[in-house]
Amino acid sequence: MLEAILAGAIRSGTSVLFACLGETVSERAGIVNLGTEGSMLGGALAAFAATAYTGNPYAGVLAGAAAGAIFALLHAWLVVTRNANQLVSGLVVMILAQGVTAFFGRTFVDKQIVGLNTQPIPFLSDIPFVGPILFQHDILTYLAVPLAIALWYGFYRTKWGLVLRAVGERDDVAYASGYNPDRVRYAAVTLGGALAGIGGAQLSVAYTLNWVEEMTQGRGLVAVALVIFAAWSPLRAILGCYLFGGATALQLALQAQGIPISPFFLSMVPYLLTLFVLLLVAQKQRYAMPEGLRAVFEGKGNYSTQNR
Amino acid sequence: MQETIALPNSASSTGLERLRRSLPWATLLRWLLLALGPLAIFALFLLTVGADPIKTYSAMYFSALGDSFGLAEVMIRAAPFILGGLATALPARTRLVNVGAEGQIALGALATTFAAMAIGDRFPAWVTLPALLVAGAAGGALWAGVAGLLRTRLAVNETISTLLLNYVGALVLIFCVHTVLKDPESFNWPFSPPFADAARWVTIGGTRLHWGVIVAPIAALLVWYFLTRTHWGLHLRVVGGNPEAARRAGFNVERIQVLVFLAAGALAGMAGMLEVAGVEGRLRPTTGVGFGYVGFLAAWMVGQHPLGLIASSILLAVLAVSGDALQITARLPASSVNILMAFVLIGILARVGKKNAA
Repeated sequence: MLEAILAGAIRSGTSVLFACLGETVSERAGIVNLGTEGSMLGGALAAFAATAYTGNPYAGVLAGAAAGAIFALLHAWLVVTRNANQLVSGLVVMILAQGVTAFFGRTFVDKQIVGLNTQPIPFLSDIPFVGPILFQHDILTYLAVPLAIALWYGFYRTKWGLVLRAVGERDDVAYASGYNPDRVRYAAVTLGGALAGIGGAQLSVAYTLNWVEEMTQGRGLVAVALVIFAAWSPLRAILGCYLFGGATALQLALQAQGIPISPFFLSMVPYLLTLFVLLLVAQKQRYAMPEGLRAVFEGKGNYSTQNR
Repeated sequence: MQETIALPNSASSTGLERLRRSLPWATLLRWLLLALGPLAIFALFLLTVGADPIKTYSAMYFSALGDSFGLAEVMIRAAPFILGGLATALPARTRLVNVGAEGQIALGALATTFAAMAIGDRFPAWVTLPALLVAGAAGGALWAGVAGLLRTRLAVNETISTLLLNYVGALVLIFCVHTVLKDPESFNWPFSPPFADAARWVTIGGTRLHWGVIVAPIAALLVWYFLTRTHWGLHLRVVGGNPEAARRAGFNVERIQVLVFLAAGALAGMAGMLEVAGVEGRLRPTTGVGFGYVGFLAAWMVGQHPLGLIASSILLAVLAVSGDALQITARLPASSVNILMAFVLIGILARVGKKNAA
């Protein structure tokens, strides 16, 4: 049972982890993107549709990334070029994605696909207990944690990471060093959306293998919350997202065991857990927050009112 | 606009500028474009699935504005948008972000239902309905109060906590309609028993329009009066303008912030009350879903102005109601109308944002 729950935690936490990493990139550049929910949803449908048409789930993942990037690009245009309120723009992108996916998803509701199979890693998957938990998954799940580590390396050990963080902290410094902050923001938000789209693709093409209207059920918004929980660190994001996945898996496992706890109460656990953890780390992450985000979270809503 | 003066062809552009200022028509035209652009884009969407845009649009128009039934539906829908929008606009004055009207509406509807079940038809409507309104307000206030306390006592960002509480609130509601509030005669469908007659707003003229909708514009008026004409409203703006200065001037900033959140939740909670005691007559898992987010956007569309909110809510209500026609005439999911709504908002976002940047 514990084994099943932990394996389930990895399975259901992965989509959130991709979205959470994407949002981390975006917020490091000073842009909050509630449209992450929309990018995930768009990614889930695009991936499912492309897989259904081509029969190739990898084409599906690419389509998912592209769809996620497109929704994020719209957000980037609104908040960077048109200087719109970030929270409002994110919600609008979310609403747009809900509409677009309901509109085009209608014909995919009953479709079946061959998705990303689980590919057990030879030898490693035979290790008792650890094997089934860590090494019997689809390829996207294997890639999620290395991606988080790569992002950490990228943020703290490369020049581009430094530029990205400079834009999020003090964009005038980045500007004075010869970088165009707006261009960096565009790139970060779009990359973030692509990652959220891959998260959505993992959901529809590897996890549930079907398309349901609004199937992300707020996972994109949870991802945004987990970025704060993780204090903008890709490594802590791993912990947060798999905790969330664990709560989801626990709920499914208890239901399967017929334990008489209402499923609705269990569904609350992930959200309450996120809230509770936020509460624990609230004081600390005030200092970890990229300077540029302060304006967004403290009610002004658009970044360029800060330093310029 | 100033940099155009330096350009060699400035004569034409300033001429246009002058024309624009002298003619309200030009402004009107721009707004018309802002309205027609989204319609054109959505028409393209309709064409891709082979739906006739003209037929669809006329069906949408008639379903929302064609007769008194459509207009009644628009009013019914606008009321919770207004109240949900006020729940955003009021905290915005103190620079607090409440994205939680969604959950506050759910808890308001839930509290109203509990109260309605407890009261039954023991009292006449003029006692029951105000009591239920208070119950709904209390439910919403409770939910918002959680976010308010988390923010002021434990420094948990209210944008995030209200978003998360939306999901928890929706699940609490769903849990209750599946268990303690389930109608024993419902053959296992998840909804509450019907409200007693005394707990229902009276409807008007054979439509679903009920007297409860007047609560929304009255609330908008009161909030406007409170913000602009009382010293309390001034306090709010001082706290919003510069919390640190307000603190040094002796304001209890935290207390004001919590009170604002409680008031916002109460407003949203009343929207929940209107839904169950006015429109639906019982609590369902779908009661009020999505209204809080639309209210948030409606408030933002008019720069958090309580009276402007009435207009923006009616506009969004027209769109939402006309979406139901999509399902009937074009057999598209009702939420497809979100595309149209989103492009209207994108148009405004792209315009308004630039103006603020200056």
